[in-house]
Amino acid sequence: MKIRAVVLLGTVAAVCLLLLTLQMRGHAAGASDLLAVLTTPVQSALARVNRATVGVWSTYREWKNVRAENRDLREEAQRLRVEALRVTEMVEENQRLRRLLALKQAMPLTTLSGEVIAREWGGWVRSLTVNRGRADHVARLTAVIVPDGLIGRVVDVRPGASIVQVLTDPASTVGAHVVRTRTQGIVEGEARGTLRFKYMAREGGGIQVGDLIVTSGAGGLAPRGIPVGRVRAIDDRGSALFHYAQLAPAVDFARIDEVLLLVGDGAHDVAGLFPGGGS
Amino acid sequence: MRTFIVLAVFGGGMAHATLGQALRIADVAPDIPLIVVVLLALRRGPEFGCGAGFIAGILQDAAAGGLLGVQALTKAIIGFSIGAVGARLRVSQPLVQVPGLVLLTIAEGLARFTLLKLFRFPAPFGELMTYVVLPQALYNGFLGAALVLALAWAESMRARTS
Repeated sequence: MKIRAVVLLGTVAAVCLLLLTLQMRGHAAGASDLLAVLTTPVQSALARVNRATVGVWSTYREWKNVRAENRDLREEAQRLRVEALRVTEMVEENQRLRRLLALKQAMPLTTLSGEVIAREWGGWVRSLTVNRGRADHVARLTAVIVPDGLIGRVVDVRPGASIVQVLTDPASTVGAHVVRTRTQGIVEGEARGTLRFKYMAREGGGIQVGDLIVTSGAGGLAPRGIPVGRVRAIDDRGSALFHYAQLAPAVDFARIDEVLLLVGDGAHDVAGLFPGGGS
Repeated sequence: MRTFIVLAVFGGGMAHATLGQALRIADVAPDIPLIVVVLLALRRGPEFGCGAGFIAGILQDAAAGGLLGVQALTKAIIGFSIGAVGARLRVSQPLVQVPGLVLLTIAEGLARFTLLKLFRFPAPFGELMTYVVLPQALYNGFLGAALVLALAWAESMRARTS
């Protein structure tokens, strides 16, 4: 090893020890001040660089966090939207079922609740498929209702399901009468999906738009007093034997999810159980 | 190259007090000047290591506001020693670099503690070693090895392009 290196180390050690000794005796303030003149500006510059670098880095990280947070919030919003839709759907279903249950409990007949599992809405045939069938002792021609009124009747019974002919089916007919005037007639379905009330001209002179039409109970198909529709327009055919009234159905057939099947004896008047009902 | 060395020695000495904070992990900051001194001493020998250690150490002392000369002396000794024996070490291996830097940091800590004890430094030895010197030694070991690898990679890239 070179002597010069050892001498350098010795000198450095001596300088350091001298500095330390002087400082301990309070005589080296000048050396500190001299070094501070050199170090302070450099330290300030480095601190500025450090702050700027840290600032840029922090901004980048915050931006990344905000982006991730934004993505999470979007996902959560999406999830909550779906959840809200589900809850709304459940609330509506709950309300429908409550109304149906109230009707079922008030009905002086044996009823069976069912769920609509399919719809045929082509025009030639208008029907619903309900998840109650032969296994539930459902008979052909059983009346099917909802809290708003009559849906139709069962026309075909299968092992686990029944086909319900809706009132608007072109082949559907049901005995009915006008609540206010007691005018008897028949409610028929039309191919365009509407209902009409066919009555004898001499009996129906006083029918007005807005009159409520309910089932008459004739033939024992459906109990008396179940709402069918309201008169929307009157088709006066002059001297013809029969006149017609266009009806607005009491039930929105397209929005039915749950129904009641009247499986018991149909010889009852249930008019008081329906909104605006009358016999 | 000289500019780089000057920047490394001066910058390393003062960067420790400012930029070193940014590298803090769990309240442990690396001793960047020590790593710089060791790397320079390995390449340039004991004289340079001693001088670089002295300058980096005294700047570190001044920047930290402590007793001037403590780190100047310890780092000068470390620089001198590693410069003297470096030629006989195979320092290109990370398995040597990491424990080497750990041991050097511990040695520097011991030397600093001994020196400060002469001037009535109050902190207990065990606590200082457990909470300050050993964690910093480990940090220095890994950071120094990473720096060595980065320098080797940079040099190989430069050699390939020239």
